[in-house]
Amino acid sequence: MKLTIKNWTGVATWRWVANDDNCGICRMPFDGCCPDCKLPGDDCPLVWGQCSHCFHMHCIVKWLQSQPVNQQCPMCRQGWKFNNK
Amino acid sequence: MNNPSFDYKAAWATITQAFPILQSPPSLPESDFETVPFEAVNTIKLLNLAEQIQGLVITRMEERLRKDIVPQFWSHFKKTDHDSATFREFHDAVKFLYYNYMKLDLIMNKLIVLREASNVAKPVYNHACLHEALKLIVKAVLLSQLPVDQQWLILSFYEKALKRQDCEEESYGNEQCCGCLQEQYVCQCVEMFQETNKKLGKMALLEPLVGQSLTDLIYNYIQAHIQKICKDSFDTSHLESLEKWLQSVIISWLKKIYYYDCANRSERFINEFDQKLISYLYNAYTKIRIDQLFNIIIEYPDSLPALEDLRLCLPKTDLKPHLTKTLQKAMETRLLHPGVSTSDVLTAYVATIRSLRILDPCGLLLETITQPIHRYLRSREDTIRCVVSSLTEEGPNDLAEELVRGEAVQVDENTPVDDGVEDWETWTPDPVDGVTSKTSGLPRTSDIISMLVNVYGSKELFVNEYRTLLADRLLSQYSCDTEKEIRYLELLKLRFGDSQLHYCEVMLKDIADSKRINQHIKQDLNYSEDDIPMSAMIVSAQFWPPFKDEKLELHKRLAKQMEKYTSAFETLKGSRTLCWKTHLGIVDLEIELADRSLSLSVSPVHATILMHFQDHKSWSLDALSKVMHVPSTILRRKLSFWQSHGVITEREPDVFHLQEEQENKENNLQDDIVVEDYESESAMASAQDQREEELQTFWSYILGMLMNLDTLPLERIHQMLKMFAFQGPTIECNIQELKVFLDRKVREHQLIYSNGLYRLPK
Repeated sequence: MKLTIKNWTGVATWRWVANDDNCGICRMPFDGCCPDCKLPGDDCPLVWGQCSHCFHMHCIVKWLQSQPVNQQCPMCRQGWKFNNK
Repeated sequence: MNNPSFDYKAAWATITQAFPILQSPPSLPESDFETVPFEAVNTIKLLNLAEQIQGLVITRMEERLRKDIVPQFWSHFKKTDHDSATFREFHDAVKFLYYNYMKLDLIMNKLIVLREASNVAKPVYNHACLHEALKLIVKAVLLSQLPVDQQWLILSFYEKALKRQDCEEESYGNEQCCGCLQEQYVCQCVEMFQETNKKLGKMALLEPLVGQSLTDLIYNYIQAHIQKICKDSFDTSHLESLEKWLQSVIISWLKKIYYYDCANRSERFINEFDQKLISYLYNAYTKIRIDQLFNIIIEYPDSLPALEDLRLCLPKTDLKPHLTKTLQKAMETRLLHPGVSTSDVLTAYVATIRSLRILDPCGLLLETITQPIHRYLRSREDTIRCVVSSLTEEGPNDLAEELVRGEAVQVDENTPVDDGVEDWETWTPDPVDGVTSKTSGLPRTSDIISMLVNVYGSKELFVNEYRTLLADRLLSQYSCDTEKEIRYLELLKLRFGDSQLHYCEVMLKDIADSKRINQHIKQDLNYSEDDIPMSAMIVSAQFWPPFKDEKLELHKRLAKQMEKYTSAFETLKGSRTLCWKTHLGIVDLEIELADRSLSLSVSPVHATILMHFQDHKSWSLDALSKVMHVPSTILRRKLSFWQSHGVITEREPDVFHLQEEQENKENNLQDDIVVEDYESESAMASAQDQREEELQTFWSYILGMLMNLDTLPLERIHQMLKMFAFQGPTIECNIQELKVFLDRKVREHQLIYSNGLYRLPK
């Protein structure tokens, strides 16, 4: 028997490689989106801080804007710095 | 008397000569045309016996009528078997009666002369005119001897005449008379008919003798005529033609009969009768249409004329309650039973809504009629699925059309009522005859989709079902026409609102994105495809309905390919990775066997089986099950798919072989193998499983409760859950469902149930 697979269409779910399931700010799943967004993934990305905590980008930006001084990570209270890995 | 020599005998002889009826035995001479018997009159006057003679004569006449004429007349009415003679029979009877009547009338003439001569003015039977008195007498004697079964002759006589009239209206060229079945030119029916009526009219017997029969006959005739015309044809309007028929056939025929009615009331009488007949016609027609209403509804767009007729008839008759009752009953017996598939119920329901909209624009009738349907649909499990799938189905479909019409769904609760403030001038109150329901305070809508959604009262159920169906469709046909789906989604959004359908939007976007990602990855230089062209549907798990959880270990070659794909994805989209749902997807295969080749689209499980068979020609069920991580029962089912294609055979129990060559055709038709209809299987977790999942969330609450309070009855558990767990718009569960859930926990030994109380096992 000769078996030729002309096309294999698989189904996969994507997920963020993060050390948690939910965003610490909005408590929504990372694989979903922040409360202000409609579409997950590219439109509502995650960002990591140098403290290794990660959040929805929109969430952390909003948080940082509400903190005029001492921009800290809401989880560990270290100064927030984006980790551009 | 003052003259003793008066010859009384001679005087009596003169009198009896003038009134032969006084002779004994009384005689009615055949030709009694003597002119006024002056001599007798003078004698009577002389003797001053006018009143006595008159009384005597009338008594004799009555006797004569009673003993002789009327019995003979009625003897014609004896029931006979042969039908053809009845026409003549009645005619002869009337002729006979009339002949005798005329003779009695001549006697009356003489009596009148007598009365005038001797100035007797005392009325006889309240009639100053003796002719009228005679008519009264004849009528009285006739009716006093009325036989029980007299009607049949009259009925048959007039029925024949009426048929004849009807035939004439319909076909002029008919050579044969319908009454006597003779050629038209020898037929005397018309003459006989007219003569009979004329005679009856002269005797003033038309109404007393035949009136009732005539009415019965006409009613029956109308009924039969309508039955004949309306039988199973709903596509023409009959109202006008029926009214015309009534005028041209029945009424004109009646006029012919009552033309001879001597009483001078014919005009008014006919008019009154006319009104009565028209109302009867409407009543009969409406009743028939109401009895057919279920069929009319089923054939809805074609039966429009019948519906229009009914709409016109309803205000003229008082049959709305009858309609409601009949239709409800018809619905119950013909629609709302387990033998009818849900989609048929829905089709009928849509047709009902549309037709009743025509009958009763205010919607009250609709509401009353459809209540049982609502109740019934609610009890069917697949209702939502049917509604949703027919909403999105292709081809001519009522619901899909409704969807395209596009109106926002009004769910009963909290929708602001803004109905028709602009046309308040044309507002009319609800008819009082409808069954008032408790919901009558709410705005009534006749939008079909709204009504269907209101069957359940929640949009969520519908949206969820739609989501599941959409997911199935998208997964089963990767190349699916997303544009069409997007169009439907937009239409649905118009009705159900953006927020409800947001998840579906993401799902469609996932499909579009997957296509783009596939293209990107294929262009990626680091990504290579050995022999398996690979593509993926990359979905956002949070937005899709939960997938059915099945395990499947793919073939090594494929697993490697998938890894490559995953790493290509990871480089394309930083910090994201893929979790494969190995059992989902579609595989396009081409199988080349020694004697034939097959080209198929199959599920990954089926493809994996074949890949393993490519490595080894034979597998035992257990070994394959271990390699693929699929339970052997399921695996056997999957194998049967290939068996039915003749690719694999089970030569000995639980050992399967690859079959390169088909042995012979007969053997190949393995009837006993059930071909699994794999397409019908949903990739999504069933609604029941989902529900189970939801209930599971309560389990921790229940555990907590029982740990603190030791034992609790079902009601308490439900109450406490209501207080703590069922908050917000999340799922609720009724007490019944909770009981089922707890009972299962008892079976699984996670709970103990005794004396109506639940507690945790120690």
